[in-house]
Amino acid sequence: MILARHAGALLWVGRYLERAESTSRCLSYAANSITHLRADEARAEGELMVRTLGLQDELEAVGPLESQPQLVAFLLSDTDNPGSVVSAIVAVRENLRAVRDRIPIELWEEANGLYLRFPFLGHANAAPSGLHEVLLMVRRACLAISGILNEGMRRDEGHAFVVVGRMLERSIFTVGLLEASHSDTRGVTDATRMLRLTSSLQAYHRQFGNAPDPQGVVHYLLHASDLPRSVLSCLGRAEDGLTALGENSAALDRARRKAALLRARLSLGEIEEAMTTDPRATLQDFAGQLAGLAGDVHAAIVPPLGMATVQAQYVRPGRTDRPGDAGALGDTPAAGRTDGPLR
Amino acid sequence: MGAPLHNPGGGLLDRYAPVDAYDEAFDADGSVRATYSRIVERFRELDVDEIKRLEALVADEFRRQGITFTVYSEEEGTERIWPMDLFPRLIAAAEWEELARGLSQRVAALNCFLADLYNGGAAAVADGVVPRWLAMSSRGFERNAIGIAVPHSAHCNVAGIDVVRAADGRYRVLEDNLRSPSGISYVIENRAAMAKACSWLFYDHAVQPTEQYGRMLRSTLESMAPAGEHDPHIVVLTPGIFNSAYFEHAFLARSMGVELVEGRDLVVDDHKVYTRTIEGLVKVDVIYRRIDDDFLDPVAFRPDSTLGVPGLLSALRAGTVTVCNALGNGVVDDKAVYPYVPEMIRYYLGAEPIIDNVTTYMMWDPDQRREALARLHELVAKPVGESGGYGVLIGPHATEQELDAARARIEAEPRNWIVQELVQLSTLPSVAEDRLEPRHLDLRPFVLTGERTEVFAGGLTRVAMRPGSLIVNSSQGGGSKDTWVLAPDTP
Repeated sequence: MILARHAGALLWVGRYLERAESTSRCLSYAANSITHLRADEARAEGELMVRTLGLQDELEAVGPLESQPQLVAFLLSDTDNPGSVVSAIVAVRENLRAVRDRIPIELWEEANGLYLRFPFLGHANAAPSGLHEVLLMVRRACLAISGILNEGMRRDEGHAFVVVGRMLERSIFTVGLLEASHSDTRGVTDATRMLRLTSSLQAYHRQFGNAPDPQGVVHYLLHASDLPRSVLSCLGRAEDGLTALGENSAALDRARRKAALLRARLSLGEIEEAMTTDPRATLQDFAGQLAGLAGDVHAAIVPPLGMATVQAQYVRPGRTDRPGDAGALGDTPAAGRTDGPLR
Repeated sequence: MGAPLHNPGGGLLDRYAPVDAYDEAFDADGSVRATYSRIVERFRELDVDEIKRLEALVADEFRRQGITFTVYSEEEGTERIWPMDLFPRLIAAAEWEELARGLSQRVAALNCFLADLYNGGAAAVADGVVPRWLAMSSRGFERNAIGIAVPHSAHCNVAGIDVVRAADGRYRVLEDNLRSPSGISYVIENRAAMAKACSWLFYDHAVQPTEQYGRMLRSTLESMAPAGEHDPHIVVLTPGIFNSAYFEHAFLARSMGVELVEGRDLVVDDHKVYTRTIEGLVKVDVIYRRIDDDFLDPVAFRPDSTLGVPGLLSALRAGTVTVCNALGNGVVDDKAVYPYVPEMIRYYLGAEPIIDNVTTYMMWDPDQRREALARLHELVAKPVGESGGYGVLIGPHATEQELDAARARIEAEPRNWIVQELVQLSTLPSVAEDRLEPRHLDLRPFVLTGERTEVFAGGLTRVAMRPGSLIVNSSQGGGSKDTWVLAPDTP
């Protein structure tokens, strides 16, 4: 048995951990690629990255990004941007702190250690020097935390919530990436970019050679059963976690059934079939349904007798997570029920 | 400061000069006491650089684990790394045995008094052992606790008794903490940090372990379950992550293998307490609470409390749950009740106290007040309702103005003050800038009482970090030391 509050905190540990890792990977890619681009191209790449991460509303509050340091500050160290790497790290730590009695000590130490390596936290926003070292450090720490989660944590409900949170966040990110790539104002769908941003380039090369084509990559990132970051893999693992959790909770079992249906739609080719007509709207709708599923899981941790015990968490506006927000299952993608900004 | 010790050794202890107090490690003629002979030898082998390196190791360990404490009065930087001095405190087996007997005796008498006061017709009050008006006027006296059944009459399941060693080498009780005494997690983490950074120090000593505390506490709490509960559901109740002792609350829950809950995780239905889990409500049998009485139940106590559980008192009255420590223990934390504890021991146990109190003057007695105020410049005045060293006036360190102000406050509210003889707390070598210097210290051992009583071997040694200071509280700049109770076969 797990307290509802602890379940909520661990679900969000999974989600924020994934965000910290994916955002730092995106930033690393952006910082690298921008150096080879003209100013207008660099600006477009920065905007695309913001869209990929669903941070358009947060950016609006800051204003347009005119330079690389601005982009770095926004995505890495801006504590006012709840979607920044640092904000995700703080949230991982705070949620772990709330469940400190039930997690391995090493897990807390690693998360706390990562937090303590950002001395500017709580002070003026400033990008640390040595951007790539910092991003590498974040990604390594995230991997270390993942390792402890996998190898050091008891396979109880708490672990299942972390896995479910992580897998749903990852699938939302991947679908969001595909959708943003289809809306690239530069008029291209950069296959290599999609693979790099999902850490899948090497795996793809080994399987398919060195000339990725956009359609093949989209299929790969959606369907590859041997790729831990494919949407199908993520949904499968989320469903496994929800299966264990749903045994004693009707609401979580409903979320499990929804995950199974989404996986089936993807697995049977329904999503890709719809993409032949309107890829962007289809991916928008799919991302919305995944976000809706994540919202359902959060809402399923309803404490008995109605008192709110689960801490409020940051949901990126571009990835609306309200339960049921994504439209009922079986809606055609063309119905366009989701209305995320800039989609 | 006295003269430097004769040939005390090299390096860090070269200029060690005892102050006018009992030194735990060196006797009056400068010889190393037998218990400390090997540890002193080890420290003589160290130099400043090595000590600094070890200090950094320990600080890093505490920092990485987030072992901190909070100082509420500071505007910023309120979370501080737990300070631990590297030179450990050693207690010989025979000495500890005597101390433990005295602590058990004291807590037994205090439990008798609480059971008598709240469930036994207050015989001690009727017999004048403690004045009725004094007990009833205590801020810690809780009328709502009257009549609530407490298993084994164990009102105080976890007690922290502050003891000091006076200049004559004898221990005295300075203060009783029977509400929510904190510090045990730091005791255990101090040991863990010492074992990591200075494992070689342990080679010559058989030191009693500390990690058994979780087992001891769990066993105590299990024995406090309401009748008929053989496998009780135990939880630790914390105010939340922003509480200064949150680290300790999480530590205790983890070491016992039970849930750490906040008030919002609990709900009372039909006079029973439940946790809110994802599977529904699960009944709770024992709550080890780390929340003050006032905040436990907004229906019965402070209505503005968001930390507690509405209806908890009704469940307590129905006997479906046990709250540990029990309600109303604050009456014996009241420093005004402290002077009567030796008489409680005689009254309930028919024995003489094994550990004496510090000589205390009761300010509500006109004769004692007159005498004490005349000598206030050489005594210590304490407000009875404060803890953490706040509000304490140390006569010899006070200015005339401060003394006059204290006299006026005492005259205005004599019930709220006690005055004690100044105890020159014992000293122990402690790391100063580039050497070891004597610093004053006290000791908070922990006594667990359920079906039976156990004294945890060791305790929290708190040390004043400033030369000459007698204030050891961590909230006021004090530090801590690892406390080694030596096994019986160690000389």
